Amino acid sequence: MKSLREEFADTMLELGQEDDRLVVLVGDISHGILRPYAKACPDRYYNIGICEPTIVNMAAGLNKVGLIPVVHTIAPFITERAYEQIKLDFGYQQLSLNLVSVGGAFDYAQLGCSHHCYTDVSLMCHFHRGVVIYPGSTTEFSKLFRETYANGLINYFRLPGTGHGIEFQPEDIQFGRAIRVREGKDVTIAVVGAQLANALESANRLRLVGVDCEVLYFHTLKPFDEATLRSSVRKTRRLVVVEELSSHDGVYSMCLKACVGLGGLRTAQIAITDFLHGYGTYEELAARVGLSPEGIESAVLEVTASGAATTA
Amino acid sequence: MVLNKDLRVRIARMVSRAGEGHIPSSLSIVDLIEYLYGHVLRYDSANPNWPERDYFILSKGHGCAALYVVLQKYGFISEQDLNDCGTAAGILGGHPDMTSVPGVEASTGSLGHGFPTSLGIALGLRVQRKENRVFALLGDGECHEGTIWESANVGANLRLGNLCAIVDWNGSAAQLMPVDDLPAKWKAFGWETYVVDGHSEDEMQRLFARLKFSAVGIPKAIVARTVKGKGVTFIEGHGKWHHRIPDQDELAAIIGELSE
Repeated sequence: MKSLREEFADTMLELGQEDDRLVVLVGDISHGILRPYAKACPDRYYNIGICEPTIVNMAAGLNKVGLIPVVHTIAPFITERAYEQIKLDFGYQQLSLNLVSVGGAFDYAQLGCSHHCYTDVSLMCHFHRGVVIYPGSTTEFSKLFRETYANGLINYFRLPGTGHGIEFQPEDIQFGRAIRVREGKDVTIAVVGAQLANALESANRLRLVGVDCEVLYFHTLKPFDEATLRSSVRKTRRLVVVEELSSHDGVYSMCLKACVGLGGLRTAQIAITDFLHGYGTYEELAARVGLSPEGIESAVLEVTASGAATTA
Repeated sequence: MVLNKDLRVRIARMVSRAGEGHIPSSLSIVDLIEYLYGHVLRYDSANPNWPERDYFILSKGHGCAALYVVLQKYGFISEQDLNDCGTAAGILGGHPDMTSVPGVEASTGSLGHGFPTSLGIALGLRVQRKENRVFALLGDGECHEGTIWESANVGANLRLGNLCAIVDWNGSAAQLMPVDDLPAKWKAFGWETYVVDGHSEDEMQRLFARLKFSAVGIPKAIVARTVKGKGVTFIEGHGKWHHRIPDQDELAAIIGELSE
């Protein structure tokens, strides 16, 4: 199966030949898979080196003269190391770029916390002119990138190393709209990224014990589809948010904001609370923080149990 | 000899009126900026976004009072704009905002941003097969920032022959880091490096006349020897005046010395 990173490279190859404003800057990653793009658009591909703040600064200069920059490297080195560059050069100066990361959360599970990134989505959502897209499949990326890359805004695409494995039809993927993957009446599971697979598996298991889960999948996190979330929770009054993001500010916060005024909610969050020290596989690190079918099942049973605490 | 006494007085008056500004940093670079706009840069002040213009990036944004008075001199902004500096009604302030000030190419202030942005502009112009040139004015203190040297490395390796860095070498950096041979550093990074007296019109004339720009080539670094606070003896140097606003007596003394 094609990875999201490979889809990114293929999309650059196609778009680069259609739009001569597209310029790709990378921080010494993905140069192998971007070779076809580099060959097709040699004046518009630069492997700048290991200097992410300067790469982001340079993207501002490119945009200032009318080009559309795409900056690609590992998530913490774009969004955390170069955050002031994004803030001032694109936020303050009202310029536009596309940031495409890999290695969000703990995708680089064997490389340790230096290569983890839990805060990227939160940081990028702080920009009023920000767009945050977290595609879990190749179709989502190619469709949403094409629709947004030239919008004049600050676009962030977080490409997970593992896709969720669900094949949505292009017409089901609408910018800024959640996908109701499964309808249910007892509890809403709001999920992002690869965790959709675990959420669906949990929902299947829970059905066997009489719990009917509605699964909402969000590929666009800014703008966030508050209406779909709210309409679902209005029905279920129970919410479990599953996210490979910081527990301190992520999709759970967005969901609660969408639910303001709805009384009697029972909610739970499965997310990353602190640095995940140690190594292992992606699946092993995910399971350590409850990002697994068992973890989701447990959280759902907690919020659906009688007498559970309410949060809103 | 002190050049541009009229602009120096305008800087002092504007900062005094606004209650904000870095007078010594501005006096250090005003001759360089005036020379660029008067003799080097191609632009149309009636059409600041003219696509064929040369780009000037004031990377050391806190020296913007010097840029403002030059932009006014050459018709980008008005006398009223200078008078309104630092007020809610105006467009000018302690650091320049490119979204509101005609002729300002980058909203600088946080050091280490403008110069790498100028690399992107230079690269973008080359991608578009354009011959515009790009000039970035950096502080020597700003050269403490890591992005300056990331960019020096990148600019030389991308062979940005349409780019010229000008460093205001007024000795600020050496106060903290006395290993400060900036010409040697720029040369070591692969830049065609020159040293000039940043307060001498003759030296600037001779230097800029010999510079050759090209889309692909060795980028240029001009390390300009300057005096912080140049032209007002009691301000010159690295003392209390860095971010001091003159009171009325001090303003009169500044104007008096520049009127001699």
